Amino acid sequence: MTDLAPGAAPAPVSLPDPTLGPGSTLAPKPVRFVLNWGRAYSLWVFNFGLACCAIEFIATSMARHDFIRLGVIPFAPGPRQADLMVVSGTVTDKMAPAIKRLYEQMPEPKYVISFGSCANSGGPYWDSYCVTKGVDQIIPVDVYVPGCPPRPEALLQGIVKLQEQIAGESLPQRYAQGSGQRDAASLRQPLIRPPEVTP
Amino acid sequence: MTRLGSGLLAGLKVTWRNLVRRSVTQHYPDVKPELPPRSRGVIALQEENCTVCMLCARECPAWCIHIDSHKEVTPAEVEGGRDRSHNMLDRFAIDFSLCMYCSICIEVCPFDALHWSPEFEYAEHDITDLVHEKDRLREWMWTVPPPPALDPAGEEPKEIKAAEIAAAKRAAPPPPVDPAGPQ
Repeated sequence: MTDLAPGAAPAPVSLPDPTLGPGSTLAPKPVRFVLNWGRAYSLWVFNFGLACCAIEFIATSMARHDFIRLGVIPFAPGPRQADLMVVSGTVTDKMAPAIKRLYEQMPEPKYVISFGSCANSGGPYWDSYCVTKGVDQIIPVDVYVPGCPPRPEALLQGIVKLQEQIAGESLPQRYAQGSGQRDAASLRQPLIRPPEVTP
Repeated sequence: MTRLGSGLLAGLKVTWRNLVRRSVTQHYPDVKPELPPRSRGVIALQEENCTVCMLCARECPAWCIHIDSHKEVTPAEVEGGRDRSHNMLDRFAIDFSLCMYCSICIEVCPFDALHWSPEFEYAEHDITDLVHEKDRLREWMWTVPPPPALDPAGEEPKEIKAAEIAAAKRAAPPPPVDPAGPQ
């Protein structure tokens, strides 16, 4: 920790890179398989419902489609107990800081499904002044489900696709710096704030 | 005053009814769903029918259709004739991350180049893969179902009526011609 000059603004805290310990690279393949298997089939899901797509999400969780069959459990009391966030609906710039905050509250390893055109890229509202052009502008997204709104089966297919990804992934690789898909440093960005207004 | 335990019995009745009833759950990844007719899954492109008239791209409310084309000139077949130009489709892409599935492009297409396919299984890990280029849109064409049959109780299509009148006119003997000619 460097000494700060009196009166200077405190420097942003630099956290160490998250690691899984020195043993993680030495862990044999069966261990990784078992861990991935456990992660893929107990996804506690947290629904960030913002618009009509949330209704389709609710339909998927109900008896007719019932994604608990796939191990997706919709009873997470909050983001701190969830593994998977499904962003369903139009992300507005006003809601974006809340999404980012709740995403950061989720424990690692965490996954995001962007559900529907609005969450994918703004959808029909991409030209609006107040709509975020896709939730992937603020948080990393694992699976994009197209549709307006998508069928419940389309969400199930997105979940299956995510489970295939989890089954094949290796966490040290996932959190390696600059591995492309998800940069650990990007998760420590400050919360989105409104732009400074100069009078 | 209700009898003690009557609420419990009513609850158990509901439990028993649901216990012996067949479950309504659809087993999606194992059993494909039975989709309703005209279901809007993905837009398929019959590339051969497209004349690059740009109507779909202009009518699209979400502006998710990208079309590039160039003109090719066919020289005149006969001496002194006129060269003919044709639009050649270079790129036809639909961005399904923007599409609002409103079906306007399919309705405005004057040459039936766009069709609805009920396929919905195209979630992607990378958002750029949701832009389906013309090859992929052409592949969806194989999944387009035949148009649903007409409603048996519906009104007869006016084309059939017009064809019947024309056939009756053709079958009827020609009207007698007045030898004196029109007065």
